[in-house]
Amino acid sequence: MKRLIMIGALAAPGLVLAHHGWSEYDSSKALKLTGKVVASGYEHPHGHVRLEAPGKTWSVVLAPPSRMERRGLEKGALKAGATVTVEGYPNRDKPGEMRAERISVNGKSIELR
Amino acid sequence: MTAAGGPLGALEGSGLGRAMREWLWLYPGVEVLHIVGIGLLFGSIAVLDLRLLGFSRGISARRLAGHVLPWTAGSFLLIVPSGLLMFTAHATEFVQSDVFVIKMLLILAAGVNAALFHAVVFKGSQAWDTSAPPAAARAFAAASLLLWIAVIACGRLLAYF
Repeated sequence: MKRLIMIGALAAPGLVLAHHGWSEYDSSKALKLTGKVVASGYEHPHGHVRLEAPGKTWSVVLAPPSRMERRGLEKGALKAGATVTVEGYPNRDKPGEMRAERISVNGKSIELR
Repeated sequence: MTAAGGPLGALEGSGLGRAMREWLWLYPGVEVLHIVGIGLLFGSIAVLDLRLLGFSRGISARRLAGHVLPWTAGSFLLIVPSGLLMFTAHATEFVQSDVFVIKMLLILAAGVNAALFHAVVFKGSQAWDTSAPPAAARAFAAASLLLWIAVIACGRLLAYF
């Protein structure tokens, strides 16, 4: 399972390096998606999940794992199969990618910004 | 089942690569070491380059070089291992990044610039040790400052492109 998660992470090239700042995300289009996690990476510099939402599977960029842990979002909460809700903005250039400002999982809402 | 092909994929999938991505405080700690190294590298180079540009002519250029250059060299002991560790975490993505390739070429250019300066200009520095540097020394110093600033800019821009 761990290996599968890693493959999911590596299968999304360009997801990791280029995510500083918010200008590449379109804040005029707020998104709120609920779906099932199909793969996740609790990784530096940014965590991420593949989220199977109705009609589309999204690459969701989260916060650095050190920040997520401090705010109570532990690695186990993002396991494949978990149902989560993310609120954030879509990437201007990469369809299917969004950055989450907030994630709700197991009834707990965590700010990622 | 392999995650990503080739030696870079293997590097990324190695225990070291995984530790860099998954240990909570390793990556930020390594970044701190990298930045401390950059501070030492650029700071030590800049004070010498400013002297070579013609500032503080009363200070012996040769004695200043003797003081700062070992620190410049030593800074690589911080910068290179920390840089390699960060590379390990996302090797396949780094090599696909134009900014990363440009950064490496700029480092190479800065190294060649420094080597040429020492081989060609600094040998004759006895003549201007406590006076105005020749035009060639100024040119090398200006190139050095610009190249290292560009290297730092690329390093920072890696996260934005």
